[in-house]
Amino acid sequence: MSADTVAIGSEGPALEWPEARRAELDQALARYPNRRSAVLPVLWIAQREWGWIPPAAMQLVARTVELPEPEVFGIATFYTMFNLRPVGRHHLQVCRTLSCSLMGADRLFRHLERKLGIGHGETTPDGRFTLRRVECLAACGGAPCMQVGFDYHENLDEAKVDALLEKLP
Amino acid sequence: MSGSVRVTINGRTLAVPAGTLVTDAARMAEVHVPIFCSHQKLPPLGACRICVVEIGMPKRDREGKPVLGADGAPEIAWMPKPQTGCTTTVAEGMVVATESPGAVKARKGVMEFLLVNHPLDCPVCDEGGECQLQDLAFAFGADFSRMDEAKRTFVSEDLGPVVKKEANRCIVCMRCVRYCDEIMGDDALTAHQRGVRTEISSFDRRPLDCEQCGNCIEVCPVGALTALPYRFQARPWDLRQHVTICPWCSNGCSVRLGVRGAEILRARGTEYRGVNQEYLCVRGRFGYEFVNREERLSRPLLRAGGAHTPASFDEAVAFAAARLESIAATHGPEAVAFLGGEKLYLEEQYLFQKLARGVIGTNHVDARTRFVSPVPGAALLEATGGGRPALSFSDLERAEEVLVLLEDLQGEAPLAQAALIRGQHQLGVHLTVAHARRVKLARPKFRGEWLGVKPGGELALLHGLTRAALDAGDPPDLPREIAAGLPGLKGALAAWTVERAAEESGVPAEALRAAATRLRAAGRKAVLFGRGVAEHPKAVALLLAIGNLGWVSGALRSDGSRVMYLGPHHNSQGALDMGLVPDRLPGYVPVADPDARRPFEQQWGKSLNRVAGMTAPEILAAAAEGRVRALWIAGDHWLRSAPDRALAERALERAELVIVNDLFLTDTARHAHVVFAAAAFAEKEGTTVNCERRIQRAARALAPRRGARSDAEIFTAVARALGASWSHRGPEDVYREIARLAPGFAGTSWATLLPLGPQWSREAPVGGALAPAEDLRPAAGPADGLWLLSGGTLFLQGSLSHRTELLPRLAKPGRAFLNPGEARRLGVGEGEALELAGPTGALELPASIDDAVPPGSVFVPYAFPGVELNRLGSPAGAGLRVRARKAAEAERVER
Amino acid sequence: MRGPLLFSDIDTPGLASIETYRKGGGYEAASAMVGVKPPGECIDVVKASGLRGRGGAGFPTGLKWGFVPKDSPKPRYLVCNADESEPGTFKDRELMEKNPHLLLEGMILAAWAIQAHVGYIYLRGEFEYIQQILDRAIAEARAAGFLGPAVAGRGFALEIHTHLGAGAYICGEETALLSSLEGYRGQPRLKPPFPAVEGLYACPTVVNNVETLMNVPPILKNGAPWFRQWGTEKSPGTKILSVSGPVRKPGNYEVPMGLPLSTLIEEHCGGLLGGMAIKAVIPGGSSVPLLPASKLSTGLDFESMVAAGTLLGSGGVIVIDDQTCIVDALWNITRFYEHESCGKCTPCREGTYWMSEVFERLERGEGRESDIDLLSDVSDNILGKSFCALGDAAAMPVLGAIQHFRDEFEFHVRERRCLVNRRAPGLTERQAEAVPA
Repeated sequence: MSADTVAIGSEGPALEWPEARRAELDQALARYPNRRSAVLPVLWIAQREWGWIPPAAMQLVARTVELPEPEVFGIATFYTMFNLRPVGRHHLQVCRTLSCSLMGADRLFRHLERKLGIGHGETTPDGRFTLRRVECLAACGGAPCMQVGFDYHENLDEAKVDALLEKLP
Repeated sequence: MSGSVRVTINGRTLAVPAGTLVTDAARMAEVHVPIFCSHQKLPPLGACRICVVEIGMPKRDREGKPVLGADGAPEIAWMPKPQTGCTTTVAEGMVVATESPGAVKARKGVMEFLLVNHPLDCPVCDEGGECQLQDLAFAFGADFSRMDEAKRTFVSEDLGPVVKKEANRCIVCMRCVRYCDEIMGDDALTAHQRGVRTEISSFDRRPLDCEQCGNCIEVCPVGALTALPYRFQARPWDLRQHVTICPWCSNGCSVRLGVRGAEILRARGTEYRGVNQEYLCVRGRFGYEFVNREERLSRPLLRAGGAHTPASFDEAVAFAAARLESIAATHGPEAVAFLGGEKLYLEEQYLFQKLARGVIGTNHVDARTRFVSPVPGAALLEATGGGRPALSFSDLERAEEVLVLLEDLQGEAPLAQAALIRGQHQLGVHLTVAHARRVKLARPKFRGEWLGVKPGGELALLHGLTRAALDAGDPPDLPREIAAGLPGLKGALAAWTVERAAEESGVPAEALRAAATRLRAAGRKAVLFGRGVAEHPKAVALLLAIGNLGWVSGALRSDGSRVMYLGPHHNSQGALDMGLVPDRLPGYVPVADPDARRPFEQQWGKSLNRVAGMTAPEILAAAAEGRVRALWIAGDHWLRSAPDRALAERALERAELVIVNDLFLTDTARHAHVVFAAAAFAEKEGTTVNCERRIQRAARALAPRRGARSDAEIFTAVARALGASWSHRGPEDVYREIARLAPGFAGTSWATLLPLGPQWSREAPVGGALAPAEDLRPAAGPADGLWLLSGGTLFLQGSLSHRTELLPRLAKPGRAFLNPGEARRLGVGEGEALELAGPTGALELPASIDDAVPPGSVFVPYAFPGVELNRLGSPAGAGLRVRARKAAEAERVER
Repeated sequence: MRGPLLFSDIDTPGLASIETYRKGGGYEAASAMVGVKPPGECIDVVKASGLRGRGGAGFPTGLKWGFVPKDSPKPRYLVCNADESEPGTFKDRELMEKNPHLLLEGMILAAWAIQAHVGYIYLRGEFEYIQQILDRAIAEARAAGFLGPAVAGRGFALEIHTHLGAGAYICGEETALLSSLEGYRGQPRLKPPFPAVEGLYACPTVVNNVETLMNVPPILKNGAPWFRQWGTEKSPGTKILSVSGPVRKPGNYEVPMGLPLSTLIEEHCGGLLGGMAIKAVIPGGSSVPLLPASKLSTGLDFESMVAAGTLLGSGGVIVIDDQTCIVDALWNITRFYEHESCGKCTPCREGTYWMSEVFERLERGEGRESDIDLLSDVSDNILGKSFCALGDAAAMPVLGAIQHFRDEFEFHVRERRCLVNRRAPGLTERQAEAVPA
C-alpha cells in the first residue's frame, strides 16, 4: 500500500499459484517476447486450477503477467469461455448457430433443459452439470453438436444425449 | 510548399500542415465535423464513426498526371466507403465532402445508432445542456426514434467517492479508459464484456484505485460519467463560468469555475485553453470547496491581551499601521519582518514587498517560509539558467530524456506528471527518476530508470551525475562566463569519482554513468526539481550542483533553459520574481546594487535599504530571540510551514506585533494581534507565474466573502495609513508598474496575458556559474536513527486542503510509512502506533507498510491535519534522523 | 482419396505422426527450400501459383508475403489464423486434427520466405484438443530438426508456438487476432498500417489461414503450373468446402475451384435428406449473402460468386431447406453477430442489437410493414461504415435475404406469425443469454 493510493477499496484474501502449476506458467510465459501476451494462457491455467476465474485469480493473473488488474478483468470478460462464476463438473455447451439450429439444436437444448431442470447458464443443484447455449463450435458438419468441457459430441439427438449424460460421472 | 498539403473541404481549398487529420483540417476550414471518440491528447481510434465523411483523390493517368473531366476540372476518384476523418491524414489534392448525400446518410445513421440504447433521461442527467450527444441530436438527429424496442440496461454505480457511472448513457467512445491509461498512467478503468453489453467499469466494480482526478468525467462526451460532488447541484445554464488559475500547485492550470450566487459549485478543465486544456488533478477539480466554507473569516480580528475581538476593516488597518509605525520608530525598521505570500497574486506580492521596503524600510522579506537553510534569493533562478527562455509543458512532452530530481510529481506537480506520462506513452520520452522512494513515475509501466538515492546522498548523486557527464569530455558551446568556472568545477569534482558518488548516494556507478550519458546525448532534454531540493538543508549546495549538471549535460544552454523548478504553490515562482526574498527587488534586482535599485527608488519615492535582509529561517530564529519584534504573515500557516514548530511558537508568542492575512483562523492566526480576513483566489483578479515562468491572468469568479478583502486591498490600506501615496486603482495598474520596473516583465502587458500568457525571460541572464558545491554537515538527530523522509501527497497539500470535505476523505489518515523490513525490525504492523522522536519533540502515528520506502527511513507526508511534523525538530545538514519505536500502548488505530 | 490435393491422403491412419507424414513425402519441400533456395524464390513461386487466401477474403498469398519490408531491422512474425469461427466452416479443424505436420511444413516454408523466426498458431478456444495435437507435432518436428535453432540442419532458426483463444469470433479478423495474441481485448486495429508492415508487436507480420498455409508445401514441391491444373485462371487450385445443413452427407469436400454449387450438393453430398428441397444456400459462411435455389449452377470460385451477388468467403456451405423460414434463419445469424460484435464501433455494436430486436419482433408475429425497410436501412447504415468487416458480415446476409425472400418477410407481417413456426412463440433467448460480469 503506498502513500498515494486512495483510502478506499476492498481486498479479499490473495491467491497464489500452487507449486504444481509453476512449470506450466513458465512454459506459457516463455512463448512470448513480453508477459502481456501470456494473459490468455495464464487465464486458462487459472481456470484449470480453480474451475472458474474468481476476482482473486484475476488479481493473481495480473501480477503474473504484470498487467493492471482492471485490464485483466476487461480481458477475461471479453472472451466467452472464461467462467466468471463457478460451473458444474460437466459444462454442457450446446451450439445454437444456424447449421445446428437447422438440424434441431433448439429441440435438443429444450430436451436438456427439461431433463436437467435448469436453463441457460444454470447449474444443477448437485453441481454435476452446467448448461449453456453457445455460438458456432466449428462442427457444423456434425450438427447438432455440443461440447462437454473441451470434448466434442456431434450428430446428437435426444437418445444420444441421454446415453452420454448417463456415462458422465 | 513542403510540409504542407492542399486539401479541398466542401469546395474550399486550403493548405494545412502535412500529417493533419481530416477532422482537424475541417476545423481549420471552419467546417464542423462532429467527434466523440477522438481527443486531442489521444491517438486516433476511429471507433465511434460519427466523423464519417466522403473522401476522394484526383484521378491520375499512367504518367501520374491528373485526369481532367469534360469541364476541365480534375476528375475525382471517390473512395467506395465513407471514411472516418479522425483517422485519415490529409494528402495533396485530397477532396473531402462532409455534406454530400453519402456523408450525411452515413453520419445520420451513426447518430441514430448512438441513440439506439441511449436513454431519454436528459432531464435528469447532469450533462444535460453541455452534452455533445444532446447537441448533435438537436443538430441532425431525427425528432422521433425508429428504435422502439427495449433498450439494454445496466445498473448505475458509484465508482468511489468521485465518479458516478450511468452506463446506459455510455457510447463506448473509450476516452475515459484511454485517458486513464495513457495520460494519468492509472489504468483504473476498463471495458467489461463486449458488443452491446460493453460496459466501462473498474476491477470487479470496486471503487476506482486511482488519483481520483475526475478527468474521465471531463472527457466523457455524454453523461455516462458524472461527478458525485456535483450531482444534481445545478444545471449548466444556471452557472456563471469563469476561468481562473488553479491555486493548488505550481503548474498553473486554467480552471473553469461554475458559480451560482456566492458559491462555487464545480471546477472543470477548459477543453482547449490554458496549459492543461481539459486536464485537472483531484485538488484542482474538487479542492475549490474551501472557498465556500462556513468557517471562513468574515471580518478582521484584533487581539488585545487574550481573546480576539471582531473589528472593522478600518479599525484593523489603523491598529496595524499604528503598531508597525511605533515598532519601526522605536526599534528601527529592521525590527519588522514580512513572511509568506507564495499564494498571493503577483500584484499582491509586489505590493507586499513594496510595503516592507518602500514604506517600512526593511529587507526582512521572505516568502519561502518552509526553507530550512538561508538560500540566496536568486539561487533558484540561477539553477534554472538565470532567466534564459524557459521550458514549457509541450517541451516536456516532446523531450527525449527527462531527469526528475528528488521530487514526487504526483503530489507536487500533477500536470507535469501527466505530461510526462503522455510523452512517455505516445512520444517516447525516457524518464529517469531520482528519488528515495519508488514514486509513481518510477514504476515499471513508464519504462524509465529509477535511481533510488539514499537519504542524505542527494548531493553525492548530483556530483556523480555531473562527474560522469564531465568524464565524457568537456561540454561544448558553454558561454564564456560559464566556461570560466570549468577548471574550478573539475578540481572540486576530482575527489568525486563516480564510484565514490555511487557509494555515498546508493545509486550504482553504472546507473549514474548511464543516466548522465542519456542526458548528455539527448537532443531535447529536461531536468525537473522542486521543494525536495529547495527545502533541503543543503539547498544552496544542491542548487549549485543542479546548475553544474545543467551546464555540463547541456540541459542549460546559452539560448535557453531545460531545467524547471516546481515550487510548492501556484505563485511560488511569482514570489521569487517579485522580490519576496531578502536580497532581491522585483526582477531579481540586487538590493545592494545602487544603479539597478534606482528606478525603484524613483518610482517608490524613497531611498531603499541597501543591506540584504534575513531569510525566513533567520527571521524565525531572530523572532524567537526577540530581535525581530513585528511579523506580518500573508497567506501562510507558519506554524505548519516553518521548519521548527516549537521555535515558531516561541517567535509568535514573543513578538510584539503579529499581523496575519488568512481565509481561516488558523493556529498561526490565533497568535496574531491583527487578523485580516482575506479573499480567496477565486474572489480576486490577478496574475500568477507558473513553473514554466508563464505569466497567466486569473479572472475574478465571485465577489469576496462578506467582510473579506483581497490582500492587495489590505496592503494598500495599511500603506496609505502609514502615509504612502499609493495611487493604483487595481491589479492592472500594479501590473503596469511591475512591467515597468522588473526586468523580464518588460514588454508584457495586462492585455497580453490572456488567453495564454507569455513565459518571461530576459536577455541579460541573472548570474549562474559552474561552481564547486560541497556541504559536509551531518544530519540532525541521532546517527543511528531512521531518516525522516517527508513530502506532499496528491490529496493533501498544505493546510487549505484540510478545509475541504472530500480531500481528507480520499487520503488515508496521517501515517508513517515504513519499508516491510524496517517494520519487522521495529515489530510494528499495519495500523499499529509508531512513536517517532526527534531532537525537539515526538509524534505518535499509525504505521503503514510500503515497499516503496527504502530501508533505514520513515516517510511521513507532512500535509495531514493531525501531523505536526515540524515538532520533531528542524532538519539540518544532510537531513533529519529520528528514533522510531513501537508505541508503548500499541493500540490498533482505525484504518 | 477424398480430394485431389490436401485431401489426397487426409484419411491415412497415423498421418498426424511425423513418421507417417514423412513417408508420404512430408518435409521434403522444407528440406529442399529452407536454407537452399532464396526466400524471394519461394515468394515468386507462390505468386506464380496464384494461391489466394482461404480464410475468406481471397487475397493473393504471394503478394501478401511480398509486402513484408525486406530492409526492416525489426523481427518478422508469421501467424497462422486457426481461429476458424465462421459459422458453417469446419475445414481447418479437420485439416489440423488429421494432418498437423502439413501445417507446420507450410509455416516453415512461409517463415523462410518472409524470414520470420517465430510463428504462432492462433487457435480458437474450443480447439484445445487440436492444440494438444499441434503441440505434439511441434515437439516431433523439433526433435526431427525441422524446427528449432537450425531448421533442416541449416542456419535458419524457427520456433512455432500454439496460442489458444478463449471464445471470440472477432479474433478471426487478422488485426483483432493480433490484439488478442498480444494480450489485449480482441478488438480490430486501424489499417493502415497493415500487418505486413506493423503487425504483431508492431513488427512486420504475415497472417495466413490454415488451409492457405497447407497449400504451400505441395506448391513449392511441385511448382506453380502443377497447382494451376485445378481451378480457374484467377482462382487456381482446390478449395475445401464445408457443407452443413440437411444434406445426406455433410462434411468437408475438396473440389477444384469453379465446381458448380449444385454438383457439390447433389453429387458429392448426395442431395438433401428425405422429402426436402433446397430453398437457399449460403455458400461462404454465414457472413455472405445467400443464393436462392435458382442460382445453384454458380461455380464455386471467387469471381463467379461475386458475379452472382455473393462471396466464396471461407467456403462454409450452409444448405437451407424448404421447411426453414428465412426470417428465422436470419434472426439466428443476426443474433450470432450481435453476440460476437466486439463493441468497438457504433454501427456494428448498436446495429446488430437493433436488427436482432426487429427480427425477434417479426418472429413473434408483431412485425410491421415498415420493419422490412427498416431492416434494409439499418443494414445499409452498417454496411461500409463499421470499423472492420464484421459489420459488413452482419449486414450483407440481411440485405441478401430481403432481396431474394422479401415475400417471406411480408408473410410475417401479414400473417402475424412465422412462416414455419418451428420456434415457440414469445421465445426471447437473448435475455437468457445476457451474462452478467
